[in-house]
Amino acid sequence: MKHLKRFHLNAAAIVAALAFGSAPAIADDYPSRTVEIIHQYGPGGGTDRFIRAISEPMQEATDQSFVPISITGGGGVPAFVTFLQRPANGYTLVSISPDDVINHALGRIDLSMVKPLVRIQYDQGLLLVSKDSPLKSVDDILAAEAKSPGGLKVGVTGSAGFDDALIGLFNAQAGTELATVPFGAAEMVSNTLGGHLDMMYEEYGPTRGLIESGDLIPLLLFSDDRLTELPDVPTAKELGYDVTIGRWRGFGIKPDTNAADVETLVALFRDAAADPGYKKIEAENALQYRSEFIGPEAFKTFLDGEIATYTQIMKQLGY
Amino acid sequence: MLESILSAVGYMVGNPMSFLLIIFSVAWGIMFGAVPGLTGIVGVALLIPFTFAFDPIQGMLLLGGVYVGSTFGGSISAILFNTPGSPEAACTSLDGYPMAKRGEAGKALGYALASSAVGGIFGALVLMFAAPPLAQLALEFGPPEYFALAVLGITAIASIGGGSLVKGLIAGLLGLAVAMIGLDPLTGVARFTFGNMMLLTGVSFIAAIIGIFALAEVLQRFAEGPQDSECLTQVSTKLPSLAELLATKATLLRSSVIGTVIGALPGVGATTAAFISYSEAFRWSKTPELFGKGAPEGIAAPESGNNAAVGGSMIPLLALGIPGSATTAVMIGGLTIHGIVPGPMLMQNNADLVYSVFIGMLLANVLMLVFGLRAARLFALVLKAPYQLVGPAIVVLCMTGVFALNNNVSDVAVMLVFGAVGFFLKSYGLPVASFIIGLVLGPIAEVSLRQGLILADFDMVTMISRPIAGTLLVLAVLSLAYGLWGQLRRAKPGGPSDAEPETT
Repeated sequence: MKHLKRFHLNAAAIVAALAFGSAPAIADDYPSRTVEIIHQYGPGGGTDRFIRAISEPMQEATDQSFVPISITGGGGVPAFVTFLQRPANGYTLVSISPDDVINHALGRIDLSMVKPLVRIQYDQGLLLVSKDSPLKSVDDILAAEAKSPGGLKVGVTGSAGFDDALIGLFNAQAGTELATVPFGAAEMVSNTLGGHLDMMYEEYGPTRGLIESGDLIPLLLFSDDRLTELPDVPTAKELGYDVTIGRWRGFGIKPDTNAADVETLVALFRDAAADPGYKKIEAENALQYRSEFIGPEAFKTFLDGEIATYTQIMKQLGY
Repeated sequence: MLESILSAVGYMVGNPMSFLLIIFSVAWGIMFGAVPGLTGIVGVALLIPFTFAFDPIQGMLLLGGVYVGSTFGGSISAILFNTPGSPEAACTSLDGYPMAKRGEAGKALGYALASSAVGGIFGALVLMFAAPPLAQLALEFGPPEYFALAVLGITAIASIGGGSLVKGLIAGLLGLAVAMIGLDPLTGVARFTFGNMMLLTGVSFIAAIIGIFALAEVLQRFAEGPQDSECLTQVSTKLPSLAELLATKATLLRSSVIGTVIGALPGVGATTAAFISYSEAFRWSKTPELFGKGAPEGIAAPESGNNAAVGGSMIPLLALGIPGSATTAVMIGGLTIHGIVPGPMLMQNNADLVYSVFIGMLLANVLMLVFGLRAARLFALVLKAPYQLVGPAIVVLCMTGVFALNNNVSDVAVMLVFGAVGFFLKSYGLPVASFIIGLVLGPIAEVSLRQGLILADFDMVTMISRPIAGTLLVLAVLSLAYGLWGQLRRAKPGGPSDAEPETT
């Protein structure tokens, strides 16, 4: 009995010690439940897949889930509004991409209400034609446009979004009048393959299978350097058109989130972005060339630069 | 090809685990289809992390089974509670619920299940033997063809209500008008949003149909007062006989073909397939006046159509690497995570995987039929519960389901508003079917018309004189004229003859 009592006391002491010992750790306990990442794209789309891929190593490290929440439609505004309605407790992130910058430039949302956290991916896009297309090179495009300006139709995804900005920028530089036609991602591909569209704009990852089989031919790359995967595809830059903007993917958080939690998150993302499993997925989609992990300060600077760039582009395009 | 099939069968026999996976995934899919708000897309997306534990073949079997199960599952709640669990089951409510309401729930579920299996097996067989040519056919469909297809479906709104042409048109055009709300799909300009941020997304289709069907029905039942307790004892769990099922064979075949082709078109899927199958079944039916009152064909058409669309939507996925539907888009994500590049080379490089998926989908349909027939009788018993308890439970389920869909409170508001809309449509005798067809097909018609016009440099004649588009449009005009003529002829000898629904 005495023994038992003593044991109880000891146990109580241990429990107390544990409780005290862990008291400061409670703040470090973050994340102690599921973190939701709101994005404006469909489930299974590039961003949704990106979030699932990057959160794999983070879940291993923390034992907590990081789940993508897809709120589609409305040009991304409802997704952003939903994020703003969430509390600043570190358990809701929002994906940030050039589409959000364009929404900001058009006055649809206010990006100053979100704190840039990290930028991870930086993609590069391609102009692609079907294998049966009479257009075999950029010169063919320029010749066709010189003959009948505005005759060529480019399939893009989204309306008044990133793809439109990029094609508009190319038009301004190359003196062409390529007309964009918005489609869903899948219909854009089927309409290009079926010859209803003259060409389409898309990143390498989603079109890799059709490029490898020879059904889609990339004619032009919008980046600084050629891709190792597509050594024969010229960049717009080397042809004299300074169009290098690409789709990047990062995350933001509510501005008044606890600073320690923000640090924890940034470290988690930094480790995840360097994880071999994630790196492999990145390489399969040819995303490794321009992707570079940047933290809150660098991302903020980058974002301000992007806002200036896109505000100017959208103004040029007459939006 | 035979070799690939045999090798795939060999794989399945050598891995008994596959059968367990298919059974589990079909059951999982039925559950996700049946619970409002938990669609097959969510069911597939949630299982993707679990596929890491299996090889790619088993992973795809799992996802394919969920897809098959969820497409049927939606019809259970559509028939029993007038609550379409998923958008593709909305059409099944139109005749499934009236049949269940007159005490033949078992029969309605039996029709749905058998038609689902027939459509599903048809789609899977076409996928197996004709995927490459059908994928090529799908590529022939540009915006003008999508437009013509949608118009063909929309022409049904005028006649489908059975009663009056004017009421059908009013309801159908209201549906088209509601479909205009939100950001303009081509220019990104806000339309009819009245400055409300949450309306930018437009009216969520699933929130709208759950409101129109489920909530409106609860409202109406409660408005009628608590007098229908006599209903309780009349629930029959009797399944339809083989002869009754065979009587719908023409509808089954037609809808299976329609469903497979529409499924193979990227961007339109099972929901569109169900509605076009339904309107075609109506047009070809010898007893169109029974539609909306529990006609067997009205269940057989959408269920075989939407399940055939499952196989159909796998055609562009496996033959070209582009998704034919939202669910297959999620499956592509699953493939890439396993390091498989979806594209035209998939069938050559991963023949084992592709053929195992074919066999798996066939098996999933057969298993669904075997287990479903037993389950259907059990499900039908739910109707014995007093409506005073079931009604409020349905309302709670709808609210949580609609919220879970997009984590969006405004969807719940949309559902509530459309509950009232549905209540008023019914009160004024406006056909719900026409309204929904306008809502589903309106956006497809609008977007593809405008895309087609841009592509044709705004030359309408070039656009509609393409062979497939032109044929479909001529068919639409002819069927509209035929329907009008029929209605005028029927109207002459003293009003529309409302045939009594058969009472068994």
